[in-house]
Amino acid sequence: MAAVEKPVGSARSSGAIFLKITAWFGFLFLLMPSFIVLPMSFGNQYEMVFPPDSFSTYLYEQFFFQSNWMDATFLSFRVAISSTILALVLGVPAAYSIVRGTYPGKRYVAMFLMSPILVPIIVIALGLYLYFASLGIVGTEIGLIFAHTMFTTPFVIVTSMAGLRHVDQSLETAATIMGAGVMQTFFKVTLPLLKPAMFAGGLFAFLMSFDEVVIAYFIADTGRMTLPVKMFNSIQWEISPVLAAVSALLTVLSLVVCVLAASFQKKS
Amino acid sequence: MAMVRLDKLSKNYGDVVALEEVDLEVEEGEFMTLLGPSGSGKTTMLNLIAGMIAPTSGRVFIDGRDVSTVPPNKRGLGMVFQNYALMPHMTIFENIAFPLRVRKTANDVVKREVGRVLDLIQLPHVADRKPRELSGGQQQRIALARAIVYNPSIILMDEPLGALDKKLRETMQLELKRIHTELGITMLYVTHDQEEALTMSDRIILLSDGQIEQMGEPDHLYFNPNGLFSADFLGDSNMLDATVESGGETTSVRTAEGLTLIAKASAISEPGRSVKVMVRPENVSIRRSDESFDNAIQGKVIDSIILGGVVKHYVDMGRGTAEEEAMVVEELNRPGRTSIRPGVEVTLGWNASDMHVLPLEGRLPDA
Ligand SMILES: Nc1ncnc2c1ncn2[C@@H]1O[C@H](COP(=O)(O)OP(=O)(O)OP(=O)(O)O)[C@@H](O)[C@H]1O
Ligand SMILES: [Mg+2]
Repeated sequence: MAAVEKPVGSARSSGAIFLKITAWFGFLFLLMPSFIVLPMSFGNQYEMVFPPDSFSTYLYEQFFFQSNWMDATFLSFRVAISSTILALVLGVPAAYSIVRGTYPGKRYVAMFLMSPILVPIIVIALGLYLYFASLGIVGTEIGLIFAHTMFTTPFVIVTSMAGLRHVDQSLETAATIMGAGVMQTFFKVTLPLLKPAMFAGGLFAFLMSFDEVVIAYFIADTGRMTLPVKMFNSIQWEISPVLAAVSALLTVLSLVVCVLAASFQKKS
Repeated sequence: MAMVRLDKLSKNYGDVVALEEVDLEVEEGEFMTLLGPSGSGKTTMLNLIAGMIAPTSGRVFIDGRDVSTVPPNKRGLGMVFQNYALMPHMTIFENIAFPLRVRKTANDVVKREVGRVLDLIQLPHVADRKPRELSGGQQQRIALARAIVYNPSIILMDEPLGALDKKLRETMQLELKRIHTELGITMLYVTHDQEEALTMSDRIILLSDGQIEQMGEPDHLYFNPNGLFSADFLGDSNMLDATVESGGETTSVRTAEGLTLIAKASAISEPGRSVKVMVRPENVSIRRSDESFDNAIQGKVIDSIILGGVVKHYVDMGRGTAEEEAMVVEELNRPGRTSIRPGVEVTLGWNASDMHVLPLEGRLPDA
């Protein structure tokens, strides 16, 4: 195993220390809303207040056992995982074609594939709603999956393109000359080297889908709501303090995902 | 039979002619070197043979088969790159096994063959490591092993030692030469380092501006340059402007400085023709009183430089005292050598057989 060596004297100069302190302040500022939610989630059943005046796990019990919050959570997981896989399956080959291809009009293909990033999300949501209505898949799980695939694929393409630009092309050339065909080169050389970028892109897509409320609000129906949609609904109609518990859990989930991503990147 | 044959092979990039109607045959088992300055078309030629780029016109034959339209992965070639191009995500074993795996070779054969080439390159214990855990020289040997393991009909190498330091480069040159001799494999080697070319090659192809300037064994190229480019590119040379006075067994010329010199017989010895005459520094001697040469000229030593095993003297022979105007004399550095101080008057001598007559432009017809 190659040990990762730190250069002598790194992270010791006063500049480095200053940078660290600033970074931590920025970090804390961004995390503050999440930290406020954490103690609130252990408050009582009647109202959301900060700081809470009593301690209980009532809200968590509500979330896990009492209501249909878990249904929404599972739906969100299923949609996020499926759309992430689809986005990777569509996005990685698209990125490969854009970066390595030599056909004319490549730039326009790239622009077209990225265009969902530029269109306001509410417009995408409305467009998808009308389109899916004509297909009869509004309010279905598959409709949600397709909608989120469309929403996250451009981001997977961007991260994969960046990753591909870092994959040394002479490795692919070498593989070709040694007798590997296009497919063999792609699966044995390019794809393994693209793994970190795909992992990052996949995590990103997962979080985006899990988090997405506008499109899901249009496509979902009352019996089939993703977690963010249900949260949005509950704050409008119920003002249920369970929301605090959900937010706290979401924060923890995001943290876990980020730590996972960081540790994976360190390894590769 | 020729392992590689190029038939009027050309490659244009827009207006740039990277390679112009090159004809070439590389014989089986030969160590052939492509030598030329930057931009002369060496990489272009290698890529055309490998099939990484398509020729503008002309054809490529490998092992007697016209492969002009065959994709690179079906040409059965091996290639060694300057940056090694080892797969960072694979162990050394898997790197070397890659071409075999692509060919769906049985597992036990893969094991045996990888072991064989690891022994051959004298790195038997690195199989489980990753490429980044090896030194540059070791990585280059792995790259070579990977190219050898599947017995390709020819191995192409584009400046494979370019990233190594001088000492290691020399070791690797010998190593490459040893493996070539041991396996009898055909190699086409690209370098812009003339010493490297002279050390390693069976034959050298001298390229300039996309054309073959001269081709032949190292000695032949060194001792019989066919033009100013060859004479200048390979080795050091003293060049003098001159006019032919008479031809025959030897060629008699009169230099711009008014000296009459005798050069060897030449195909361009019509009296009155303007030519350049060339003599290598190591063929010029500082004459002692008991020696006699076909040519002898007077001069004054400007400077002497000791370069380890050899000594270079710069002598003003009437053209001026700048380094490029001086006549350069090179002699072996032996203990007890009479040292020569700047300012001393000397007589330089060399024989007619060491002096070449070269055309002002173009090349001499093939001898
Ligand atoms: N893709 C390309 N597009 C345009 N011109 C090119 C291209 N590749 C090479 N050339 C030109 O073709 C000529 C030959 O290039 P080539 O790379 O074969 O030179 P080389 O002998 O390998 O040089 P070096 O020693 O610097 O590697 C050069 O003039 C170069 O500018
Ligand atoms: Mg080159």
